[in-house]
Formats: sequence, structure tokens, C-alpha cells
Amino acid sequence: MIAASYDVVVIGGGPAGLAAALAAKKEGAGVLLIEREARLGGILKQCIHDGFGLVRFGEKLSGPEYAHRFIEPLLETDVDIATLTFVTGIEKQQGSYAITLVSREGINMTLAKSIVLACGCRERTSRQIGIHGRHCAGIFTAGAAQYYTNILGKLPARRCVILGSGDIGLIMARRLTLEGAEVIGVYEAKPTASGLMRNIYQCLEDFDIPLHTGKTVTRVFGDGRLEAVEISDVDDQMNPIAGTEETIQCDTLILSVGLIPANELAENLGIPLDPRTKGPVADQNCMTLQQGVFCCGNALHVNDLVDYVSESGETAGREAARFVPGERIFAELKADDSILYIVPQKLNLLDLSAPAVIYFRSASERGKTSLTVTAGSKQVYTKTFTVLRPPEMERIEIDFSGAGLKPGDSIEFSLAEDQ
Amino acid sequence: MSYLSKLNKRLNERYDGRVHATVQNGCLHLSGELPDWQEIVRAGHMAVDKKRFIGLVNDIRLEGQQIPPMRLPDLSDDALEGARPDVLVIGGGVTGCAIARELMRYRIGVLLVEKEHDVAMHASGRNDGMVHPGIDLRKGQTKKKYNDLGNSMYDTVCAELGVPFRRIGQYLCFYKTWMKPVIRASQFYWKRMHIPVRYMSSKELLRHEPNLNDEIRCALHFPTAGIVCPYGLTIAYAENAVDNGARLSLDTAVLDMEVAEGRIISVLTNRGRVYPKLVINAAGVFSEEIAKLAQDHFYSIHPRKGTNMILDKKSAYMVKTIASPINSDKRKEAHTKGGGIVRTVDGNLLVGPNAVETCERENFETNRESIQKIIAKHKKTSPALSDRDIITYFTGVRAATYEEDFIVTFGKFTENIIHAAGIQSPGLTAAPAIAVEVAAIAARYLGAGRNDSFNPIRKPIARTAEMTVEERNDMIKRDPAYGVIICRCEEVSLGEIRDALHRSVPCDTVDGVKRRVRPGMGRCQGGFCGPQVAQIIAGELGIPLEQVRKAGCEGNLLLGSNKEAI
Amino acid sequence: MKQLVCIVCPIGCRVCAEEKDGQFIISGNRCKRGAEFAETELTAPMRSVCTTVRTIFDDVPVLPVRTKCEIPKKLIPELIHALAAVVISQRIGIGETVLENFLGTGCDVVATSNMLKSTGKKEDAHDKSTGTDD
Repeated sequence: MIAASYDVVVIGGGPAGLAAALAAKKEGAGVLLIEREARLGGILKQCIHDGFGLVRFGEKLSGPEYAHRFIEPLLETDVDIATLTFVTGIEKQQGSYAITLVSREGINMTLAKSIVLACGCRERTSRQIGIHGRHCAGIFTAGAAQYYTNILGKLPARRCVILGSGDIGLIMARRLTLEGAEVIGVYEAKPTASGLMRNIYQCLEDFDIPLHTGKTVTRVFGDGRLEAVEISDVDDQMNPIAGTEETIQCDTLILSVGLIPANELAENLGIPLDPRTKGPVADQNCMTLQQGVFCCGNALHVNDLVDYVSESGETAGREAARFVPGERIFAELKADDSILYIVPQKLNLLDLSAPAVIYFRSASERGKTSLTVTAGSKQVYTKTFTVLRPPEMERIEIDFSGAGLKPGDSIEFSLAEDQ
Repeated sequence: MSYLSKLNKRLNERYDGRVHATVQNGCLHLSGELPDWQEIVRAGHMAVDKKRFIGLVNDIRLEGQQIPPMRLPDLSDDALEGARPDVLVIGGGVTGCAIARELMRYRIGVLLVEKEHDVAMHASGRNDGMVHPGIDLRKGQTKKKYNDLGNSMYDTVCAELGVPFRRIGQYLCFYKTWMKPVIRASQFYWKRMHIPVRYMSSKELLRHEPNLNDEIRCALHFPTAGIVCPYGLTIAYAENAVDNGARLSLDTAVLDMEVAEGRIISVLTNRGRVYPKLVINAAGVFSEEIAKLAQDHFYSIHPRKGTNMILDKKSAYMVKTIASPINSDKRKEAHTKGGGIVRTVDGNLLVGPNAVETCERENFETNRESIQKIIAKHKKTSPALSDRDIITYFTGVRAATYEEDFIVTFGKFTENIIHAAGIQSPGLTAAPAIAVEVAAIAARYLGAGRNDSFNPIRKPIARTAEMTVEERNDMIKRDPAYGVIICRCEEVSLGEIRDALHRSVPCDTVDGVKRRVRPGMGRCQGGFCGPQVAQIIAGELGIPLEQVRKAGCEGNLLLGSNKEAI
Repeated sequence: MKQLVCIVCPIGCRVCAEEKDGQFIISGNRCKRGAEFAETELTAPMRSVCTTVRTIFDDVPVLPVRTKCEIPKKLIPELIHALAAVVISQRIGIGETVLENFLGTGCDVVATSNMLKSTGKKEDAHDKSTGTDD
């Protein structure tokens, strides 16, 4: 049974939402967790490989085990959990949010003082990267292939090409090989691999699966089922180079070409998004520019480590529980072109009691690099990194309390080679 | 010099004697061999003369290249062996399905055959869904007659069949100031053509369509233009036909015909031989093949493909109705209205189509160049148009005759065949009118009376996302499956997906479900819901998941079970 | 000289390692565990293995499992074969053994999910149905 109102409603029962619900509960809030699938855990249910939790628990857990670390304590609380429930609309009303839900019980409405958006992300499709030909069976995004394999126990491929060297593609290369399929190769349009180095090592090198960079799939061939793909070299703008085409026979093409935060709910509320992250603009407490709406996990920006997803979920849940409407005073966090993006994008100057946790990605692969953070003429923070790669998001903590920041100040982040 | 000799002189000059024209039985025939398909089509257009000849048959062979034969279904049985329908309708596109439905208004036994695994798999499922005002049509054209009549029928037909239709109007946009008085004056022309139109200043245009290019100087508004889901309409026509007693046989291709003394005696399919009294040829790009089998070959089809793209609903704000540029393609061979940006009935933007002559009748491949050209062409109309908003693209192949007009007529040499052929654009608009006409002449031919129990109403699958809260709540209370959302992008429930699998036109593929209730049409293109839809199909139809297909009879989604390959 | 990526922690140090006259020359690691990893990689590489095993249950056709500890990399194909023959017929949960002491390595294979188990405190928290069959 869903109550008429809650202090905090968390939308999404994956790792971000689970952490948020627990954190909000810990603050004593009345919490509702909404999940559209039948089981909690989100994408972790199908991520049966290990490597999760190294930072948070010091252990190498599989996805379901990591989720269990949150689900089990959550079930001990009195947090209301609504599975197979879908949010069809959110409306800002006087002092609260009216959330419309669809479930097997019918249409329900509940009110929330604050909302945590933890809806995760979706996968980029073949059409979004301009793959042409005739779309036959056998073209899957990596997540869909993973679902078929790990949840439904089916074999989506016998001889496959994987496009995209992101972690999901690398994981699926290993997974399908273990299920007896032949992975012909992993192709990557960028000049360097997109996934974590340790995944390149233990998913590709362990199984002698070749990685080809600077190449992409341009066409697919097949009538009912895929029969072959056309691979082309790409230039540094990632455009295919005519005349470099080669045809590879296969029955499956698996796409791991990027994740896009799912922010339809935020957009419908008119919440501004950051075009660099595709997630909402947020402050250090995970609140978006809309009072009382928080965002965390992959919906805020695409993470590599679930440990950081949980951290952002905890922040969002805790702050959502503590939320009291009121003006915020912002300084802007700005990154130059050496950085792909930083999160948060705003610093609420009224709440500098704790150091701000900041995540960022380098725009390019760099050796020994210094990150410099300045406010005005004053250097606020600096850190040296031995190596930085775009696929590996970095986490830093900065105590801004002594920086003497004023409203509207710009805090500049920049990377430079270390001398 | 006769027309024929003049023509042969021109053909000789251009083609070095490789192409020759003759007249046979009142039809102009081209024969010979050329290495380039574009030239074969060009020769046909050079030769065609609607007034002088019954039709143009272009038999020029393509040198050095094999035109792919018609794809046949995998199936072979005798399910139809010995059937004796009054009417055999060949082709399950919008034309064939509409004809089948209209035939049921009479006491006629109908067998509708379609070679694909579903209806609307060819052009009828691969077009822009526009119901045309008839801007580019000329008096005397068969397509104008049926377009204008069909257009006026859409409100009624779609209400009967439970198919969403919106008469949103179309803007033809102009950029040159000097054109303003010319365009204003052109309203008289349209009025003479019986096409409602209104001149619009740029100020007024931008009030209605605030996101169009503010460099547009003026526009013509055609209020009779509308949008519909073309495959949704085709499916609805087919369901209503079957509900009223028509027999539908999918995966059924016509292989041969027995013709004697100017009559079709029997028709051989991959599912047996049938003995219809009357055959209706609505076979789209293959209507010429059917005409040949029926020994009634008086036209040729030169396929012309067109690509469209669909943009994310988030970008739909750019165009609220339909906005087209003035057709800048001055080439006589272009034969295209130029396309436009269309706000589809489902709320997406559709951009396209283009037009490319091809010898391959079933080549539905898309390519990069088409997409780039289409975006470039329509970007002027709406500058915010971007390929970043593309969620999918698709290609269809139009069945065009050299006369570039419809053929809706009894056979010229064979008595018991009616052709509804050469139905290129505006075929969708014309379909309701063609169907009524063909059904009427068929009924007259057969001496059939009216069917008093004909029910024109077809109840569509209810779309829960569009219901009121009360309606939706009621539905869910009756069956909780309507409250389980499977497709997040398009908000489609489990109940609706199950409904799609239990209609009078069979549906058992992921794409079939997609066409009927939309899971997989959203921005994630089935990334999340695809496996779930497959599971639901397996569960509802009692088949193993490995046997669920994406589209047709081939095309397994899955290649086995875990551990099989170990 | 081998180029390795240490997989012990998320940093993923790029380690260069070679064996020379019975001695290991290792560089690039930031901690002791990296050096240990490199040595093992050169001599007898070990891996943990995660996969699924079939079950008899319609609602959960496959159950995710993993090796409780690391096994020699070269034994991975044999482990996969052994697990392909396993069919779970009881509703076991996280940590319960699916295959004991694989090939005498001392390593068990255990379930990593509670998908098979009945619901906990809340009836609807862990629906056994996948939502596609009510």
C-alpha cells in the first residue's frame, strides 16, 4: 500500500536509489522507493561479474552481491517499496511534488516533500551512431545481450563482433566467450580503449580477443539474421574513411557505444541539464536547480564504479531527507577544455560544513598531470595524478570553507602537464 | 514520321542501337540491353506516352547485373489447396487490405494473400504517413482522382477503424520576397484544382509554427493535409476485413497462374493452388510480375526507394504540423514531392523522404548519404534540425509505373483481373477511395449483393497511456497486466502487448508487436523492452524463447540456450 | 618483459614485470599487492570466474555463481565445462555452494544472488515473477 505522502520519494531501485533510500531512512524520513521492475537491484541484477565494491567494501563482489549489501538492510527498515511501479508524471504543487504512479493496483498519486531521481541510464543505439544497412535480427546493445545471457539464460550470439570498448562491451566479450561463443574482435572508434584498463586485461587479453582502435562498424548485412558487418577506419573526427571498408562475417553485432543518462522526468519538470554530462545541473548535495529534486547515480552522470554511485545516492538521500525549501547561494564550478566534465556544477555556499565531493573526467589521456582549482586569483586546491584517462573518472574532495567564496564566483578547474 | 519511328531514332542516338521500341497489342514495348539501371529508367520515361498507348512495358535487360528475384517465404504446404474464393486479393499493403475490407460490404468470399509474415511490410509500412492535399497532382491523373476522394474519406474511415488521424495541415514555405505576390496569386490555381489553400504571411506562419526559419517570407497553408500511422491503418483494414469474414493467408506468395482463353483459371501459391473467380492485383513492387503471370502485361514498375528518419519526441517542438520547402528538385526525373518535416500522429518528427531509382525491389537498406542529404535539405525549414536527434531511419520502395500514375482498371487482355497497381505516393491517401471503387466494380462483375451484416467498426487495442485516469484505473482493476509498464519510452503495458498477440490478424514477432502497440519505437529502440517483449511472446504463444523471431519467418533473435555451445 | 595491468584494485596500475635469473624485476606498481600480483601473473596466473548455472525453475532460468577464491587461469575451461553440467534444483541463496572444491583446488563455487529465494520481510520487495507472468 502506498501512503498519501512521504518525506522522500526515491525513483529507481538500482544501486543509486537503494543507497538513497537507506540514507534518507537513516535521517528519519518517511521514504517510498519506486522500482519499475519486479526485483530491486537495477542493472546489477544482470552484472554477474565481479569487481564491484573494491572501494566501498574492500572486496571484489559480483553485481548481485553488491546489490544485496543494500537490499538486505533496506528490507529490515520500514521503507515502503513499490516494485512493478512506474512514474508517469510529476507535478510541482504547493510545497510538494505530486507523483502519479501506475502499477498493478491502478493509478495512484502520492505527495513528496523531496524527490530523488535515480533512474539510471540507457544505451546508445546503432542508429544514433549511424550504422546503416538493413536492421535484421542479431544486433543488440550490450545490456540487452547481457540480459538475454544472464537473466534469461539464452545465447544471443555464436560468432560476434563487438563495437565499442566500453566496460560493458569488454565484460560481454568475456561473458560470451565463457558461454562458448566466438568473439571475433572488439572494435573501437576512438584511438584508445574506452573501458577500464583492468577490463581490457582480464576480458580481452586473457582470452586473446583482439582490440582494434580507430575503426567502427558502418554497415550491417543480413536478411532475417545478421550475416556480416562492414568495418571502416575512422579519422580523428570519428568519420568513416572511404575505401577502408572490410567485411566480417558474423551472426551478431553487440554495441557498447555509450550510455545516456535517463532524464525524461527531470526534463518534464523543466530542470536544466548539463549538456556535458546529459544529467541535471546539481550542487554538491546532489540537489538539482529545482528545489527539493535531487539526482544521483548514472542519471546524474555516467559512472564507472558503482561505489561512487552508492556514494552519490547516499548524499542525495541524506540531503533529500534534510531538505527544507530555501534560497541557495551558488558559486559556479567551471572546467576548461582539458576536462570533459565536472560534477557538481554548482557549489551551494550556504552549506560548506563538509568538503565537497567532486567527480571529473579528463578530456584526453594524460601522463603526469596536475589539477589546479582556482577561485579568482587564489589557488584553492591542487593534486597530481600519475595518469588520467577519460574512461576513468576521478574523485576528489575539496574543503571550500576557508576559500572566502562570494555568490556568483567562478571556481575554475584545469589540468596541466606536470613539469 | 510516326511517333514510334521518332522514338526509335532518339533511342538509337542515345543508346547506339542497343534499345528498340515496338508496339504490341496497343502497348509500347522497349527491349534491348543497357549496363546502367538509371538509363533503363530514363529510356522508359523518354518513351512513355499515356495518350497513344495502353501502357509502357520496359523489357530492357540490365547488363552484367542480376536483379534479385522476389524473396519467397520459407514455408511450403497445402493449407490453401483447392480453395475457391470469389476474389483473390494479392498483396497485403494498404491497397490490398483496404480492398479486402471494402469487398466485405458485399456478399463476396475473399482470400487475401501476402508473401511476408505480416501485412504492411513493404511500402505501406515504410512511408511518411502523410495524407496529401494533392499539391503536385494534375487534372486527368488517376492519382489525383483517388487522392482527392481518398483524402475526404479519411475522417470517416479512421473513425470506423479506430485509427488515430489528425488533419493538421501542411505549410509550403517560400524564402524569396519577390515570390510573395506570385504565391498569393497561386491560390487561384489551387482553388481551380479544388484544393483548399490559404496564403500566409511569415508573421502569421511563425505564430502557428514559431520554430520554423524566420527567413521564410511567406507560406501556403493546405488545411486538408493530415497524418496517420500507415501500417496501423493497414493492420486495421486487414483486421476489419477478417472480422467480417475475409480469409487472410500470410507467408503466401503467388508463384504461377493458369490462364486460358483470356481467363485466369487457377493461381498457384506456396501453400497450394486456388481457384478464384476474380483476381485483384495489389502486389506493389511485384504487380508487374503478377500481371505477367496473368498474361495481362501492359505496364512496368520501376522501383523508387525513399528513406525517412524519425527524431526523438523531445525535438518534436520544432514543427507542430507539416512543413515542406518548395520543391527545389527541378529535374523532370525527380518525380518527388520533395518531402518535409512531419509531426507524426505518435508525436515524433519524421523527416524525408528522398527518391532514388533502384532495380532492387526489396532493398530496404539505408545509407549515410541519404540521411545527410535529407537533413541538409530540410534544415533550412527548421534550423534546429540535427542528426543528433535521430532515433531511427528506414527505407521503403515505391512501385512506380513509367506513366507515373495509378493503374486502377480491369485487365486489358485477361478478363477476370483488376489491377490496383503502380500505387506510389499518394497511395496511402488514395487507398480508401481506390478500395471502394475496386470493390464496387468487383461486386458488379460478380453480380454480388450487399452484405447486410457488414460491420465497419473495428475496435482498436486500447492505449493505456492515452486514457483518462478513471479509464486507466478501471482497465487495471479488471486486469492488472495493464498496470505493468514494459516499454518505458512509450509507456506500453503488458496488457497491451498481450492484446497485440491475440487479434484477428496474427502477430507473433517482436516487430509485429512493435508496429501494433509501439514497444521499441522510443528513444532506446527496444534496448530495455526488447527482451521482455520476446519473453511475453514466448509465454503467450507457448513457444520456447529461442523460437521467437524479430520480424519474419527467419531472423531468430536468439541462437540457443546457455551452455549449449560449451 | 611483460606489460600487465594490475586487477587487484580499481586504480589498475600498469606494471612491467620480468623474471631474470630467478629474480623478479617489477615496476609501475603503487603498492605491495601489485608486486605480488605481478609475480603470480608471471608464474601461475590466477583468476576468479563468474558465470551462471542452469536451474529447473521457470522464474529464474539461470543463477549467477562465482568462484569463492581464485583458481589457476588455465583451469577456466574445465571449470566452465563442469558448471555447464550443473542444474540447480533447490532454491538456494547467496553464498550457498553450487560446486564444491573444484578439481581439488580447494575452491568452491557459490551462488551470488538471492533471486531463487522467497521474499524477505516485504512481500513485494522481491517478486519471484519477472513481471512478465502474473
